[in-house]
Amino acid sequence: MNALLLSALMGVVMMFSGIVLKSKAAIRNIAIAGMLALLLVNILEMNGTVFLVIDSKGMIGFDRFALLFNSIIFFSTFLYLTLSARDMEKVGVNYAEYLALIFFILCGIALVSSFRSLIILFLGIEIISIPLYILTGSDKLNLKSNEASLKYFLLGSFSTGLMLMGIALIYGAKGTFYTSGINMVNGAISPLLIAGMLLLMFSMAFKVSVAPFHFWTPDVYDGAPTVFTSFMATIVKAGVFIAFIRLFDEGFASQQPKWKLIIAILTAATLLIGNITAVFQQSVKRMLAYSSIAQAGFMLLSVYAMSPDSKEGLILYAAAYCMATIGIFAVLIKMSDYTFDGFNGFAKQQPLLAAVTTIFLLSLAGIPLTAGFMAKFYMIKAAMYNSGLLWLPILALVMAAVSVSYYFRVIQAMYFRESSTPSTLTVTPAFRYTLVALAALVVLLGIFPNLLLAWLYF
Amino acid sequence: MIPVLLITIPLLAGLATFFIRDEKAARSWALLASLLTLGCAVAGITFLKGAANLEAHAQWLPALGAQFSVKLDGMGQLLCLLTAVSYPVIFLGTWKATYANAKNFFALMLLAQAGLMGVFLSMDALLFYFFWELALIPMYFLCSTWGGDKRIRVSFKFFIYTFLGSVLMLIGILYVYGMTKDQSFSINSFYNAGLSNAQQNKLFWLFFIAFAIKMPIFPFHTWQPDTYEQAPTATTMVLSGVMVKMGVFAVIRWLLPVLPLASYAWGDVVTTLAITGMIYASLIAIRQDDLKRLVAYSSIAHIGLMCAAIFSETESGMQGVMIQMFNHGINIIGLWLVVEMIERQFGTRKISELGGLAQKAPAMAILLVIVALANIALPLTNAFPGEFLMFNGIFSSTVTQYYLWFTVLGGLSIIFGAVYTLNMIRKVFYGESNALTAGAQDIRWNEQLALGVIVILILWLGVCPQTLLNTVQETAHSILNKADVLPYIRKH
Amino acid sequence: MFQLLQSGLNGTGAGSYLPVVIQIIFAVGLVAFLMVVTHMLGPKRKTTDKLQNFSSGIESHGDARHPMAIKYFLTAILFVLFDVEVIFFYPYAVNFKMLGWNGFWAVMLFVAFFLCGFIYIIKKGALKWED
Repeated sequence: MNALLLSALMGVVMMFSGIVLKSKAAIRNIAIAGMLALLLVNILEMNGTVFLVIDSKGMIGFDRFALLFNSIIFFSTFLYLTLSARDMEKVGVNYAEYLALIFFILCGIALVSSFRSLIILFLGIEIISIPLYILTGSDKLNLKSNEASLKYFLLGSFSTGLMLMGIALIYGAKGTFYTSGINMVNGAISPLLIAGMLLLMFSMAFKVSVAPFHFWTPDVYDGAPTVFTSFMATIVKAGVFIAFIRLFDEGFASQQPKWKLIIAILTAATLLIGNITAVFQQSVKRMLAYSSIAQAGFMLLSVYAMSPDSKEGLILYAAAYCMATIGIFAVLIKMSDYTFDGFNGFAKQQPLLAAVTTIFLLSLAGIPLTAGFMAKFYMIKAAMYNSGLLWLPILALVMAAVSVSYYFRVIQAMYFRESSTPSTLTVTPAFRYTLVALAALVVLLGIFPNLLLAWLYF
Repeated sequence: MIPVLLITIPLLAGLATFFIRDEKAARSWALLASLLTLGCAVAGITFLKGAANLEAHAQWLPALGAQFSVKLDGMGQLLCLLTAVSYPVIFLGTWKATYANAKNFFALMLLAQAGLMGVFLSMDALLFYFFWELALIPMYFLCSTWGGDKRIRVSFKFFIYTFLGSVLMLIGILYVYGMTKDQSFSINSFYNAGLSNAQQNKLFWLFFIAFAIKMPIFPFHTWQPDTYEQAPTATTMVLSGVMVKMGVFAVIRWLLPVLPLASYAWGDVVTTLAITGMIYASLIAIRQDDLKRLVAYSSIAHIGLMCAAIFSETESGMQGVMIQMFNHGINIIGLWLVVEMIERQFGTRKISELGGLAQKAPAMAILLVIVALANIALPLTNAFPGEFLMFNGIFSSTVTQYYLWFTVLGGLSIIFGAVYTLNMIRKVFYGESNALTAGAQDIRWNEQLALGVIVILILWLGVCPQTLLNTVQETAHSILNKADVLPYIRKH
Repeated sequence: MFQLLQSGLNGTGAGSYLPVVIQIIFAVGLVAFLMVVTHMLGPKRKTTDKLQNFSSGIESHGDARHPMAIKYFLTAILFVLFDVEVIFFYPYAVNFKMLGWNGFWAVMLFVAFFLCGFIYIIKKGALKWED
């Protein structure tokens, strides 16, 4: 609750800071300080300090899982802002507004991470989506950015429509918006409930870009300004995933036999399409877009498995994925050439940045000693023990091996190929240190994942 | 204490090497670190033999049931010794080789050593998997950065192959973990998982493919000749001398005792593959003109024999494999050293372009002949007892009815081995010297030293193999006990 | 018919929507019927005036698809935004007493956020007509 209120407040503060303050550095510092405060109050709430109790009639419930997840989200955003906030200046003139929108999105994530009622879910999803449409199109003079924004908006509103229809049907079947009420089994299962559940599943699948609802993702991620792609592909995606798992865990747990196979098929399709298409990309940015689809497939395993294990897995996965991808994007934003060849000889020009990027890429590929491995490990473990289905985990891991082929192309370019043009890249020492700290964190979580998971219980 | 040191010395030394700017200093530092590791390994085998010294356990991920648990058993001792011996020899043998960015080269080499040590020492499946990958990553960077012209593509093939194998193994590990009674990754829980026949048969290939790719066993071997050819020689030595032993070792420790029923059921298939690979590789080796590829194919043949001997499930076969792992590592490093010398001097590896080296470089010729004879397992060389025991094991195997065929076909490939090795010696060292080899020089001091060590080991272990056999006897016995399927067959 | 309606009301499944379906069929049918009937019965006189767009009796100029100043849209959308706000006040006004102080503060929060938005758009110059 603390974070929910503060994030909305911070959004308003950022809006006005753009009017009051003229210095961009000051605006940025306020945003970073606000982010830190957000993280702090959220951690305080984890320890039992709640500043303002608002009676939501049980529509919002901040449990341990939601709070920890929010902490990860806020921490990732904090890193994201420290690394990339400076690069937002290049996008357009409305610097403060971009930051305000990011805070509003965080407010939406705080809502969807803790919803107990479908109304709050809808509200949260919309609070996340609408600022995203704006951020996607924020590069106003770029035609690709405009196209991406329009595409995202049209398809996004369509999926929102599906979601509303689903909620309406479920209300028709159960007479309640509360997930606990929806989960209750009384009498025969109404076809309305199943239809509503499927509609909800599809619209959520759209929001997290699960195949076959992923077609918007590459274009939107590619068209959006790279700074915001970084935010969309990591924090927002992870944030919507918690809504996904919460919805199916609390709302539809009793209908498991009905949706389990569908989710399994969606997962398999996402893994296959995301990974195999990513192999053929020529631009690193587009490759990362497809890789985000592939990683969504892995995260979907947690919905599929639906157990305490899978929640641990999602926590770890969200952290590992966000940190690694934010790191890679932070470097990518600085590059002038987004193709694989643009990375040629990077290790000679920027040995430190190349080394940390390598660690992030290894983490995404799921190589041991990085957080990405532990995350995949937990996911696979959860998926194996809660179904007895062996083909899905095997497929997932084989696809992880496929993913190596495109992640390693960047490493190959950086280390083993020579560049033809000298580097024009300039970075501040603070940027370097933050990236190194981030890489260290990725490795640390890869060896001791319980440092993070312990928070889930104590 | 010893196992922890064996892992941490190369690990920390390797990480530190990244920060040494001077090439000479990095080289000396790497040699020093590897000698220190060797000292530890020798100490662990000779005078610090107490059980307390040879194992270490610490909490790692209690929620998962994974422990940091390392132990030096008989087979582990031998392989750690091999890893520890090979590194100083390799560094010495390639002392004069120059590398761009040498500090990174030595750092990665040492990191790979840490990974290899970890693989041989871990007594916890998850830890094992960690080290299995940790050994692979530095190798990938080594091959891709300092190799030949086609290095990027070739080493990527190598990486994808092995990584695909490892992820299958990960599934297998997780499956067995789920079946263990105390939800633990420890090796003893794995041994007592009590898997049913059907489960074992399903799991067998998940594990075996991973190990078969690493060894490599036909038809998973296609990465190997290319990688050996393209990688820098020092790396090839590690790859073929030590790293392929990871696969053999893993079959012995993690496959046979964990899935005894499946190993029994699939034994014939695996042995057939191994024998096929032996003959196939030997035939290709006979036709090879490239020295590096010749050694690479001969390595496939030797590993095939080890694999066949493991699945014979006899005590003499098992002991033979264990000591042969050590001996083969020593021999093949020797062979690579000679190949490296020849390539450096003449700029070619083509057998057809060389000839008459013995007159110009007598010391090199003598040393090479000894190494080559060891490679074909002549009596009095170190490989003889191992191969003899392995053949004995295959022939006396009670788990297969085709033992006679396996022995005869395996023996055939040994004859092929003699053909291509002696042929190579004849063409390269004897006969008329040509324009290219006329100006040949004899070997340098560092190479003499490295090859000298290898030759001494070859002769010493050839004359008295009992020291090695004593070390592994107990391990072989206990592995076979766990892999014994007779009680099960009697029950059903 | 009556029995059908009765059974539908008692049920909980999709059958309970039967009256709605009947009503929809009736409504659509009536419209279709009237349209067909007027076409068949009415006289037909076609003149150019009749075929032109009709908007409040004012003569139309050109095409509606020419570019317009973005300010029109901005003003229009802001108008809609602040206009819609009112619909939240109606339910509050009706339940004013029942919701008590809790409700009062909730609505105050809502109004405060809205006021912030209002100040923001004025400060940003969104309503300034001349540049």
